[in-house]
Amino acid sequence: MARNTRRTKALVAMAALTATGVALSGCTAGSGDDGGDGETLKLWHYEGADSAMGKAWAEAITIFEEETGATVEFEEKSFEQIQKTASQVLDTDAAPDLMEFNKGNATAGFLASTGLIADISDAVEEYGWDEKLAPSLQTTAKYDEAGVMGGDTWFGVPNYGEFVGVYYNEDAFAEAGLEIPTTYEEFVAVLDAFVAQGVTPLAEAGAEYPLGQLWYQLALLEGDRGFVDDYQLYKDEVDWQGPEVTAATETLKEYVDKGYIASDVSSVKAEDAGVSFINGTSPIFVSGSWWFGRFVTEATGFDWSMAAFPGADLSLGSSGNLWVVPENAANADLAYEFIDITMRPEIQAIIGNNGGLPVAADTADITDEKSAELIETFNGVLEADGLSFYPDWPAPGFYDVIVQELQGLVTGVQDVKTTNTNLGEQYDEGTAEYR
Amino acid sequence: MSRATTTGRTKLPPEQPSIPQRSGGTGAYWLYLLPGFVLLLVIVIVPLVWNLYLTFTKWRGVRSPEFIGLENWQKILTDSDFWTSFTNSVWMILAMVVVPTIVGLIVAALLFDVVGRKFGGKVGSFLRATYYLPQILPIAVAGIVIGWIVRPGGDGALNQILGWFGVPPYDWLGQMPSALIVLMVVMVWVQLGYPVVVFMAALQRVDPELYEAAELDGANWFQRFSAITMSIIRPEIFVVTLTCTIAALKVFGPVYIITRGGPAGATLVPAYYAYQEFFTKRNVGYGATIATVLTIVVVIVSIIFIRVQNSLERKERAGL
Repeated sequence: MARNTRRTKALVAMAALTATGVALSGCTAGSGDDGGDGETLKLWHYEGADSAMGKAWAEAITIFEEETGATVEFEEKSFEQIQKTASQVLDTDAAPDLMEFNKGNATAGFLASTGLIADISDAVEEYGWDEKLAPSLQTTAKYDEAGVMGGDTWFGVPNYGEFVGVYYNEDAFAEAGLEIPTTYEEFVAVLDAFVAQGVTPLAEAGAEYPLGQLWYQLALLEGDRGFVDDYQLYKDEVDWQGPEVTAATETLKEYVDKGYIASDVSSVKAEDAGVSFINGTSPIFVSGSWWFGRFVTEATGFDWSMAAFPGADLSLGSSGNLWVVPENAANADLAYEFIDITMRPEIQAIIGNNGGLPVAADTADITDEKSAELIETFNGVLEADGLSFYPDWPAPGFYDVIVQELQGLVTGVQDVKTTNTNLGEQYDEGTAEYR
Repeated sequence: MSRATTTGRTKLPPEQPSIPQRSGGTGAYWLYLLPGFVLLLVIVIVPLVWNLYLTFTKWRGVRSPEFIGLENWQKILTDSDFWTSFTNSVWMILAMVVVPTIVGLIVAALLFDVVGRKFGGKVGSFLRATYYLPQILPIAVAGIVIGWIVRPGGDGALNQILGWFGVPPYDWLGQMPSALIVLMVVMVWVQLGYPVVVFMAALQRVDPELYEAAELDGANWFQRFSAITMSIIRPEIFVVTLTCTIAALKVFGPVYIITRGGPAGATLVPAYYAYQEFFTKRNVGYGATIATVLTIVVVIVSIIFIRVQNSLERKERAGL
């Protein structure tokens, strides 16, 4: 009898737990049902609260709630989280109404081709966002049926831009008696001069994106817009033993051999490379504008500046990440209203004054001197139609391939030709379905 | 032996516990097994069959898979990265099974037979706990610490220590053989506690009089270890070897945290390779093929282990 009582209690406890679970899941479902009522905007983005964009979006949320009377249900996600799991979530009722997503063929293009994110061309026309975005910024927002960027259909809207340039520690240059280079020849001469003085000049990271970006920038030095179109938009075959790629791979190898880059670069992460610039160990860092705000805050022990890669007509860069509206969004209209607020000059100014690169700011609103310099440099790249995107965009997973192959190159495990062949094989395999 | 001497005096316990039989048959018992079968079906069998089906498809993870026949299976045969990953599995077995089991046996025997007897059980228990500590440390935390230790340049702890002896800094995780060696050393460190704890628990079954008798007969420590310890804890050795081998074949976390398969694929293992194909390249069909091969290998290894164990037990029972 006692045993039966215990068993009954256990069953009751289990039933209670189950009921609680059902009730909780019911609550979750209920929160999902809030969508579609025109009163709640379910928003996902992955910008840090202290970043330029994070601050701008926070202000946009406040304005949105004041003006529309609707509530923003914001969920902070990580970049990796959205990148790897969004495609599964977007196919369900749990999809948000508006989401920040990485731009490019393998990312936003993939979602567009699978019909998971909505064609927002009508909203773009209605709100006039296309008039605020420079043509080279529109490339990553528009895709064709196969998900290749540069198409005719709008699937996203960017609010900011980014590009890769060169950060210089001006104090270190002055101490070494060197000038900031303006041509590639001067750049190499500076690298030689630092090496001669026992300094490894370039902060680099072979375990993550910086080394691959330098490799692509070196290819862009040899290439033109036709090369970029072939590589990024699959206009024609890429010759993986051709002059652009060969020059890039050979030069990168030389950079290591000549001591421009540390010999132990293959296991260094981007964070470590950035920190070695911040703490003054490395006087030069080739990387993106996304470091700018952090350097303003942390690289305070010396004067520094940033410029486009010397001698290059083409720079890595693109629009920033995109606002995309999932096909399953319950409140698409609210999403469009929110996007429109983020395009307003006051929100754009927040981006610009915090180290970001606004795409539709009134220059008079940019009060921070250093930010104004950065925006001027970026505008110079835009005016020259110089944005050439990123090396890993053409195929899903090509980022890992580039990291792996360049590690093989800089550790001396494989030569230039083998590296190019391996890259080409993986590129061809990964892009086959888009061609 | 003991059974033969007691047969005439006492009643032997039955070989199997007596289960009262109902006249209505055993149908009702199936009801108790039903939840287990349902879970097995939902959690194991359905995903397994679905995974197998995906190996014949090309799928990006959303919408419908496209049937492509044996393409993925043909590709895997000539995929050098796949074979590299399985070669690295052999190194992982060395680091996670062979070394920890052998060292674990010796350590457990020493703790039980020498330390326990000379310094008391508490000292032995304390040392056992310290060996087990890496097992309870989250691999993400351990990975970050290992990253600091083997950091390149002069900042890393290992390079600093070696620097005191005039050894120049080395890029431990950035070079080909050393990255794999570092990973293996980490895995030995992580794994060692598991066999030590299991073997020490098994040694509780050993009658101390056996050791004393052997000692009186003049047996040294190694002779006692090989003749008594090894034979008595053989079932535990099988369990440890089998579970560690399975863990080594499907190791993922340490590779993900410490090396991400690099440099240049030097530390790629099948589970991480499958993950890359699943989530970064969105080749779900090919990722499923790698996962299926891994499953088949794990099942084959498990069957071999269990058969060998059963065969040895049969021989032991037969007095061979």
